[in-house]
Amino acid sequence: MSPLIRWFHQLGSPPTFDRFAARWTPWAYLLGLLAMGVGLYGALFQVPADYQQGDSFRILYIHVPSAWMSMAVFGLMACYAAIALIWRIKLCEILAMACAPSGAAFTLVTLATGSIWGKPMWGTWWDWDPRLTTELILLFLYLGVMGLYAAIDDRRNAARAAGLLAIVGVALLPVIRWSVVWWNSLHQGQTIRMFGESSMDASMIAPLWWMVVGTHLWFVGSLLARARADNLRREAGKDWVGKLAEASR
Amino acid sequence: MSYRDYVIAAYAVFAVVMLWDWLAPKLQLRAALRAIRLRAARNANRAPAANTELER
Repeated sequence: MSPLIRWFHQLGSPPTFDRFAARWTPWAYLLGLLAMGVGLYGALFQVPADYQQGDSFRILYIHVPSAWMSMAVFGLMACYAAIALIWRIKLCEILAMACAPSGAAFTLVTLATGSIWGKPMWGTWWDWDPRLTTELILLFLYLGVMGLYAAIDDRRNAARAAGLLAIVGVALLPVIRWSVVWWNSLHQGQTIRMFGESSMDASMIAPLWWMVVGTHLWFVGSLLARARADNLRREAGKDWVGKLAEASR
Repeated sequence: MSYRDYVIAAYAVFAVVMLWDWLAPKLQLRAALRAIRLRAARNANRAPAANTELER
């Protein structure tokens, strides 16, 4: 067996995952914070104001990475849920459920910052525009996954039921992505492309990529921390957890 | 126009939510470890009573 595959198998063991998460969580948070710090400095102090939108366009530097994260995290959650349902890997159940609060947080930021930007630019806090409405449904889906997981006493059954909802909910992601193409939308079309030329000026784009990297790393920290807490709760009766709890006193 | 207040409000929302995202799992972890310690302490207190009963 190759060392990488062996490492993945070992990571599925609760004590090994706990050690891994305890070791890497602070680093992921720290690196995420640093990357976001660089991005925010560029967004607020280096990039010039937009010739039409003035300073309000600076909201984009938190709105766009959060929107990308809201969809990426949901996709990841559904992947973990599918793996957990097919191969019954407990750690994947834990990771899937740990994705939900972070994803909901990014979705909330997306909706709130979009609304704050919309007031001066569109003249309204909210519009039942396809992009905004589908993003709101995404938030409700996240809340549904979290609520379902919390509502069932048996942790494994709860994770399976909530995981199924996550898998079904994936159908919403392409609708969000192409809502600005399929319908007449108040929301602007695609301006930033990972591959190919963006319609955003090159002088304004670097802080955005820093923010994208920063939010991804931050999410990794958050995911590991939440998964570690859930892992410990599930393994509460085991000796290694007792020793760990005593050591952390 | 600068729209400074809107920018500040948006960044404040982002900061507060990220702070919650950092703090919430930290508190969950602390609560989980505390519950495990309390459970271990309860079990430790219960164990001698059971032994006494058997010895009698």
